Amino acid sequence: MADFIKNPVVALPDRDPAPHFSEEELIFTAEEKVRIARWVAQYPTPDGAVMWTLWLAQEKFGFLPPEVLRLVAAELGIPYAQVYGVATFYTQYFKEKKGRYVLDVCTCFSCQFTGGYDVLHYLEKKLGVHAGETTPDGCFTIQEVECLGACGSAPMLQVSNGPYVYCLTPAKIDALLDALKAGRMPGFTSVTLPQDEDEMGGNRRTDADASISYSTMPIAEQTR
Amino acid sequence: MPSVTIDGRKYEFEGHPRLLQFCLDHGIEVPHFCYHPSMSVPANCRQCLVDIGAPVRSRATGELERTEDGEPVIRYFPKLQTSCSHTLADGQVVHTSRSSDKVARAQQDNLELMLINHPLDCPICDQAGMCPLQIQAYKYGPEGSRFEFRKTHKPKKVKLGPHVVLDAERCINCTRCTRFTDEISRSHQLTIIDRGVKNYPLTPPGLVFDDPYSMNVIDLCPVGALTSADFRFQARIWEMSSTPSIITASAKGSNCYYWVRDNLILRVTPRPNPEVNDFWLPDEDRLAYRCFNEDRPGGPEIREDGARQGATWEAACARAAELLSAAGLRSVFLASALATVEDNYLLMALARMTGGTVAGYLPHIAPGHGDGWLRTDERAPNGEGCRRLGLGPADVDALNEQIAKGEYDVLYVLEDDPVAAGLSELGAVSVILHYHNTTNRTLSLADVALPAATAAETIGTFVNVDGRAQRVVPAKAIRGAHRTLMMHMGLSRADRHGTPFDRWHNESHLINCKPSWELLPAVAGAMGHRMDYPGPRQIMDEVSSTVPAFGGATHKAMGLAGVKLPEV
Ligand code: SF4
Ligand code: FES
Ligand code: FES
Repeated sequence: MADFIKNPVVALPDRDPAPHFSEEELIFTAEEKVRIARWVAQYPTPDGAVMWTLWLAQEKFGFLPPEVLRLVAAELGIPYAQVYGVATFYTQYFKEKKGRYVLDVCTCFSCQFTGGYDVLHYLEKKLGVHAGETTPDGCFTIQEVECLGACGSAPMLQVSNGPYVYCLTPAKIDALLDALKAGRMPGFTSVTLPQDEDEMGGNRRTDADASISYSTMPIAEQTR
Repeated sequence: MPSVTIDGRKYEFEGHPRLLQFCLDHGIEVPHFCYHPSMSVPANCRQCLVDIGAPVRSRATGELERTEDGEPVIRYFPKLQTSCSHTLADGQVVHTSRSSDKVARAQQDNLELMLINHPLDCPICDQAGMCPLQIQAYKYGPEGSRFEFRKTHKPKKVKLGPHVVLDAERCINCTRCTRFTDEISRSHQLTIIDRGVKNYPLTPPGLVFDDPYSMNVIDLCPVGALTSADFRFQARIWEMSSTPSIITASAKGSNCYYWVRDNLILRVTPRPNPEVNDFWLPDEDRLAYRCFNEDRPGGPEIREDGARQGATWEAACARAAELLSAAGLRSVFLASALATVEDNYLLMALARMTGGTVAGYLPHIAPGHGDGWLRTDERAPNGEGCRRLGLGPADVDALNEQIAKGEYDVLYVLEDDPVAAGLSELGAVSVILHYHNTTNRTLSLADVALPAATAAETIGTFVNVDGRAQRVVPAKAIRGAHRTLMMHMGLSRADRHGTPFDRWHNESHLINCKPSWELLPAVAGAMGHRMDYPGPRQIMDEVSSTVPAFGGATHKAMGLAGVKLPEV
């Protein structure tokens, strides 16, 4: 099973990949250009708008192959290399075509301690693919990612750059996969902190679809 | 004047110096990797940490607070600071690792972290011996590592472009290379990709690192992550001598070091000179060294019975003298933008002695080649030197015509290749040729062929396009060398020549050639004329005092940095 800790190999990206999109497809519409120009205007230099623009491009094209990065660079008038550097820095920018759902499993410190790798291995086994790969039916991609800032409810994963799923257990993962297969995205679940329950009569957030109580984190298999 | 106390010693400063640069300028060693004086300061390697304190001022009065014995109260920054990015202010107190255990410990720990994923393959690394990471790890690093796990494996021997090879495992992500392409060469071809332990510099997909200045990142890289495709695995650093000299492949005269082992030049690296090339060299200048090693002549030759045959130096010079004497006024001399000022000056003197004509020098111009920076349209080192001696570019067509009409009996060529320059009608004249390489196309027509020492083997002066006179000294030895040359070799070669019993060199790498400043007086002497100079230094003394365009350009004044000549 892919596990960067056990097999820490960084592969060289394909340095001359064939393009996925044709010249005709590689354009921003007039309306998109207006949005980009508005972002550019917000920063002292145009490279400030690179993240917004990459995000827009990813929503438009589904992922960010080199030709799309070049398009973004040309639109902003900044070096292609710089756009590539930013795009590769963030796991949230997809450099290859991904599955319908991208499961970003956090294996950073807190999650690792509480079973991030257990979650990852469970998913890998269940879906039959390794981290970084997509299931043959194109439904799921598993990614191993760094801290997503939800350490308090570790272990956790994020679905397709969207909702977080916390305090993962095998049963929770099974349910999540079934829901996703049925086309149901998990809602926004808020984790209630103990002091909120006591003092504020429950959840601070009013916009959450659901809330769960804070519970003591599990301990990872491998640490036990 | 504002002052700062560093490790207990007071230094005065002016303006707003950065602390690290200030320390380096004052001979205080502070280990560092990412800082480079000509680029932006990202402070990302964290190696240059120091402890900095500033005097405390009373909020109410703005006066300095003082201790009971009148000393200003110093309040230290809560954490160690990166000296590269710290701008000095009056009264600050700095502790480097020399006076602070805290700093020493921080630097040690930083090196331990840096080495966690470093392959430690110094025994096969080209950088070993001049590697800031290796040197500083020895000096400031920990005894060993506490890291017991598998190291991260990253791509190795990735050819980023035609001249640069990346070993990503050795990279410490200082971003010097990417800053070079962003800020100095502005090709924007490199970026750091990915993040955390996985990051390293790369070109984006579909882009080749073909920046004409790409090889500068090899020198900038403080580890062996970026190596030269050309020099890779050719020699260990300590096996070579490095001689400060200048580039002769362009008219810019960029300052460089020639790295020599066994009398072969193996690589060329830049030598900083803010007046000429700063810290940089174009790739083409670095790769033009082969002409010093390859296709070199075997010794002097003269034409006997229609074929060139080996001869002694005396016989060859005597034959040249014979031809010149017979030709008298009917001889024509070609000066050379490839030869030194001294050699051209002596050629002009020889022409005066024989009464012959000097037809100027052969221009080496490649229009559009220059880039307004270190690459020039003129592809020869001394066009400006020739012009300042009063020589103009030779009119090849006119010369062809004159020779065809039989106006001359002898063509005397100084270190150049008239046939390659289009001088085709040489059947009617006797050719005396000083030449560097056997690829010289005039060689097959030469009646006297005199192998001349190249810029890497001689002493002399070149004047660059901006009118700066600079000196070359011998980087490699030639056979039967002149005493003057040997004296300079002795000074310029770090490794000297082993003892006669313990020689590591191959005799065949010693080229049987002579500097033109030795050959021209020999020819003059064989004609009964005297051309008495002990060496190029005295020739240049004369040039600088008699030719106003060379005012002040003595060897002594030129030193290693060169002198700017008067405007003409
Ligand atoms: S390759 Fe060398 S210069 Fe470039 S970031 Fe790495 S260590 Fe620095
Ligand atoms: S370590 Fe997983 S969210 Fe922070
Ligand atoms: S030299 Fe100061 S942080 Fe790198």
